[in-house]
Parts: sequence; structure tokens; C-alpha cells
Amino acid sequence: MKFDFRRAVIGLLAAAVIAGAGLTVFSQKDVSGDDLTLGPDRESCTVIMVGKAASTDGSTMTTHTCDCGVCDWTFGHVPAADHKPGSVRKIYHINQYVTFKEGTKWPYALTKGDTGFSIPEVPRTYAYHHGMFGYMNENQVAISESTIGTVRKLVNNTPSARIDLTMLSLLGMERSRTARECVEIMGSLAEKYGYGFDDDGEFFAVSDPNEVWMFEIMPVGPLWAPETGKPGAVWCAERVPDDQFAVCPNESRIGEVNLADKDHFLGSAHMVSFAVEQKLYDPASGQPFSWKRAYSPVADSAMSSGGRRSRLWRLLDLVAPSLKLDPNTPNMDQPFSVKPDKLISVQDVMNLTRDKSYGSIFDPVSGIRGGPFQNPNYYSGTRKVSVANSEYTSLVQCRGGLPNAIGGILWVVFGDQATACYMPLYAGITAVPKSFTVGDHYELNRASARWASDYVDFHTQVVYNQAIKDVQKAQLEYESAAVQAVPETDKAALALYAKSPAKAAEYLTKTCLAQADKIVAAWWDLGDRLLVKYNHMGFYDPEKRVREHVSLYDSTWQKAVKMVDTWIEK
Amino acid sequence: MKKTLILVLALAGLAVAASAQGGTFKASLPVFTTSAGQSNDVNTVNIVMEEAEIKYDYCDVPTVEMIQAGVGLAGKKSGEGFHVESTTDPTKFPTGTAFKTVVFAIGASLKGMGASGLTVDAEEARVKSLIAYCKKNKILVVAIHVGGEATRGAAGSDNERMIDAVAPDADVLIVTKDSNKDGRFTKIADKTKAPLIQIDYALGLVDIMKTAFGV
Repeated sequence: MKFDFRRAVIGLLAAAVIAGAGLTVFSQKDVSGDDLTLGPDRESCTVIMVGKAASTDGSTMTTHTCDCGVCDWTFGHVPAADHKPGSVRKIYHINQYVTFKEGTKWPYALTKGDTGFSIPEVPRTYAYHHGMFGYMNENQVAISESTIGTVRKLVNNTPSARIDLTMLSLLGMERSRTARECVEIMGSLAEKYGYGFDDDGEFFAVSDPNEVWMFEIMPVGPLWAPETGKPGAVWCAERVPDDQFAVCPNESRIGEVNLADKDHFLGSAHMVSFAVEQKLYDPASGQPFSWKRAYSPVADSAMSSGGRRSRLWRLLDLVAPSLKLDPNTPNMDQPFSVKPDKLISVQDVMNLTRDKSYGSIFDPVSGIRGGPFQNPNYYSGTRKVSVANSEYTSLVQCRGGLPNAIGGILWVVFGDQATACYMPLYAGITAVPKSFTVGDHYELNRASARWASDYVDFHTQVVYNQAIKDVQKAQLEYESAAVQAVPETDKAALALYAKSPAKAAEYLTKTCLAQADKIVAAWWDLGDRLLVKYNHMGFYDPEKRVREHVSLYDSTWQKAVKMVDTWIEK
Repeated sequence: MKKTLILVLALAGLAVAASAQGGTFKASLPVFTTSAGQSNDVNTVNIVMEEAEIKYDYCDVPTVEMIQAGVGLAGKKSGEGFHVESTTDPTKFPTGTAFKTVVFAIGASLKGMGASGLTVDAEEARVKSLIAYCKKNKILVVAIHVGGEATRGAAGSDNERMIDAVAPDADVLIVTKDSNKDGRFTKIADKTKAPLIQIDYALGLVDIMKTAFGV
């Protein structure tokens, strides 16, 4: 009996470590048994939103942590174009969850793919930068994405849904001058041509230098067809107050809606009637219509989900600790947005995307969760903002008082934000760095910025608690420098812009590409140095040319090992 | 005598009870729905059945034993990457009643297969074993492809392998027109003589199913 008890204890410990060690794999299927398309075990991207009066420099900021693990990570720039009357815009289905063979996604998706459907083109399409989605156009209209899911019966994966999410974002980029216009264009196109196919319940933060909107869209079920004469999508948008900070962690965030208040709400005219028709809302309930409760309900809180749905509470609490938000509060009852205790800088937002829940009740390295080197990526109980399967993160910063070409900055970091470096791409640049356009998951490519990040990340995992200090030092050197260089770059670009916008664009392009090249090269070098320094889990000092004899193991872990050894001996 | 002969021939020849007549066919209850390839298209099929008010049993990754168990699917419950639903009216078809019709929604999804712990090879083998069981037990096999051209692929691709696993043995093929742009399903139907019903959108399935099951 005694022996069995010990075996059970050891087995439990081993099981806990194994269970904790596995990273959560993105999964399409529902595992919760409910009728929703998105459960806490397959949540992916995080959107952070900062209103212009909540930021230190008056800019609006939003993020898309593109958390996936099998998705395409390449970026591109699409120039503006004029179109003759009668031109058409081909519509493509672009699956966001597919690894395309290197360099094949965007030529297909933008110009060369075969498609049986097109819509009338507009006279002029605007230039924009894109990753998986359109991120920022020449008018400083910006988008960030998070999948929120919907009730299963609304999913429309059939070809009757002509427009999927990626396509919707590209159309928004091509056609809009303001965030509000972008929201209305995307909503109306989706209603007209049907939304879904590769996607279902989705969220975009849509911003410009003045406004940040939460835009949520749902398909209307597989039985929709254009001939029904009904809208092929249902959508809703609510404006984030200027002095507020908000988050979308794969959960619908829009509650009660007042479409009469055009300053704060936009949406499908049929959003309530359709919900009633689909038995998602009962007016006789006496409860006011709530968009999120009807179309994408979530019951959990940070606490009840064991940390799987902790990002909303965590981020709101980080920026507004004075509110003392309760992690037990169901997420749907957490505030739509909060006023941050302090104004938020772009560096703050970068750091928020790196959050691993350290020091919180969901700390991934407390006890022995982090293993011998306090690695935050072992423990999958907490869904952290920064996860190891991030393809990249886009941080779009829209700044008023500057020409759009200079005001807009798309900051990009590849891979796990914690071990990588943000790089700026101004709205006015006419090309993205070559290293941003290449690479895929299945072949190491030394010309790829993403692989440079992964190279560092891989070597950081070995002796995490030590190596991360080297990474943070490099981030301070390169990323902080990039942030601090912005005013100087602005100044030089403005001077050129006054003479020639084209010269300013040329300067910005040259500057951004050179900066990216420098950082990517530095990251390859950093990866090399980490490999040497922590080789064989040692501590090699290349300057002194000695191997230091220091214990790298976490003391709690060492105690735990001794404890288990004692149990085994008994 | 002539009429009797025709009737006998019909019963013998159409043991699986399928017949195509102007875009319709006949099928019998109870019916079981499932996926060949784990795409979300089976969700579409289930919604069609609900819209047509046809009660059904469903599992995304059933075993032969589950189909063999008939209505109620041996009481199996949903779990991670495994979904079971039984809406069949037990007063009309008590638990254990053998299925007369099995509907396969064809469409390969690596994510879907991954979520169910399946490789393409495993899914193909699983689907083939179900088809073999249905053929052996004279269960009507209805194959549906509503994913359109975008969910087709080159020969040997995941999607095409799922089509190969089901369509050549299907008693009825129902596909959206853009799923059949290359005539792949037409060629299969020509070879197997199975009725091929082509629709514009999934919406068109509702009336077809109503007619097929006589509801």
C-alpha cells in the first residue's frame, strides 16, 4: 500500500509536469460540449486598444498578437491604384490558418489566384501594409484582429459566403479614409456578398488618429444565399472612448447597443430581429438586447476558467490597478473599457504584449510550474498574452497632427514577443523589408526576420531564466532605440514632406528597411551568442574565455527534486 | 405480370433504395450524419437536416461499432475532439434501431482532423471502413460536397482523398455546382451510375432532403 501511494504521488507529479509542459495546440473543434465555435482551449489572438486621450503622445494604438502556430507570417505592401470605370475586384478565399509554401500566399491572394467571383471596383484603392490581415493604409486607417467565435448554427463555411475575414480587411484597407468609414464599408460588403467561408465570429479593432472602434461580425448560417434577399452577415461596432483602454481576448466585447447613437454605435439594422429569429434573444425575457450575449456568449471568468480566460482581467488590471477588478467576475460583466491609471506609451503597449502573467494569481512560473529554469512557456494552465505560438504581433499607432504617411506606424515583432524586437514601418513607406516577406514554418530560412526571432527564442528556452536577461538587454539596446528614434525620423521626414511627399516616402522607406535589417542581423547574432553562452546548459563567458561554475537551476525546482527523491527512497 | 416483374427487379436492383428522379432521391429513416475529413461541412449538413425537420443521429468520428449499434450510438457521449448527438425520435425508432441511411459530408480539414487526433491516413482508413460496413449492410450512402471549388485540390490532396474514399461507393451524390466545376463528381457518377444532384447553394439541400425522407 505504501509503495502504491508513493507511485501515485510521483505519477501525479509527473502528470502535472507533462500536462503543464504541453503548449496548447490551436484546435478547430469545440471541446467544451457547448454550441459555440470558440472555447478557451483554442483561443488565439489578443487585441489591445488605446484611445488617443489614454496615450502619452495622443496616438491611438491597437495590437494583433497573431497567435497560431501554423499560419503564414509574411508581410507585404500594396501600392495605391486607380481603376477604370467598369473594373472589378476579384474576391478570394484566403484561409488565415494555413501555412502557404514560402512566397506563394500573397501573389495568389492579391493578383494571381483563380476566382469565380468579383465585385465592382472603386475608382481608387489606397496603399496599405498587410500581414495576415490588412493592417494600415495610407490614410492611417488601421486594423487588429481577434477571433471571437459564434453560436455554431450561424457558421457559414459554404461558398455562398463570398467574403472571408482576410478579404474583408483588405477591402477595408483599399477603400477607407477613416476608421468609421472602414467599419461601414466592411459591414455593408459582408451583408451584401455574404460573410464567412473560412471564418466565423470575428473581431477587428479599427482605428485612425481620432477614433478606435470595436467591430464584430458574424455569419448568418450555411443556408444563406444571395437569392434569399437577406443580409449575408450581421455586425456591430462600438467606439472605444478616447480616454479609455480596452481589450479583446477572443471574446465578444460589445454588450447593449444603441444604433441611434451614431457617435458610438454602428451596425446591422437587423441585428436584433435576426437574433430573435435565430432564438438567440427573447424580447419577452425582459432583458435588454446584448450583442455579445446573443451572438457570442461566454460564461467564464478568469478564475472559473483556471486562468484560461484570464487575459481580459489581467490586462485591464495591469493598466488600471486602482479599480481592483475581481478575477472572479464573469468576463462578460467586466467593463467594456477602463481609464488607465497612467497614460500609456507605445513602449508600454509593446510590454503589455509580452505579458506572461508574472506575479499574478496565474503566474506560470510559481512553484515548479516553470521547471528548472523558470520557463513561463511550460505551463499551459494560464493563457498568457504572450504565447510561444505567436507568428508575429502588429502594433498600429495612428498619430494626429502629422501627415498620414508619417503619422502612422505599424510596429512588427516576429514570434514570441518576449524574446523578439519590435520594428517600425511607417504608413508612408513603399516597400517592406525583404526579410518580412519570406519564410515558413517548415524550413529554416536565414533570410527571414521571423526565423531570426525564432533563432533567439529557441536558444532562450534552454536556460530561460538566464538567457531572457540577455534578450532583454538586446531589446533595450535595439527596440528602445527604435522607439526613441521616432521623433528624429518624424522631423527629417516632415522636412522632406514639405518639399516633396515622394522624397519623404523614399526617406522613410530607406530608414525603416535599414533599421529592420540592422535588428534582424542583431537577432541572428544574439542567437549565436546565446548558443555559445548556454551551450551544454553551461555558462561560457566568451570575453573571459572561461566556463563559469554557477548553478543555473531554480532553487524551488531543486527542492522539489530533492522532495521527490525522498519520496522515492521511502 | 409485367408490373410485378418490374417491381421485383426494382427491389432487387435498388437494394439501397436510391433513385434519382429529376434531382431527387428516396431515403429512409433513421439517418446518421457524419464527416469524411473533419471539415465543418458536416455542421452545414446537420443544419440542413434541422431546417428540413429530419431527426438524425450524428458523430464526427464514429467507429463501425457505433453505426452498428444503431440509434442512440450505444450511448456514446461527446468528449474532446469527439462529438455525438442523437436527435432521432426514440418513440419512432427505439434505441438500437439499425440506420437505413448514412450521410457523409466530404471535406478535409487538417485542423479538424488534428483536433480529433487523426492523420489523413487514419481518417481515410476510418471512412473506408464505415463505407464498407454500409455497403455490406445495404445502408444507403449519401455523399455531400458543399465546400465548393476552394475545398477541392490536386489529385492526391487531402480533399481529393476524402472524395475518393466516399464518392465511388456512394449511392447518391449531392454537390454544389462549384464543387463540380472540373466535372470530377460527374465522372464518378457516370462510372458508378449513382444519381448526381447538383445544387447552387447548401440551401438547396433542404428541399432535397425533405423530399428524400418524405417529410
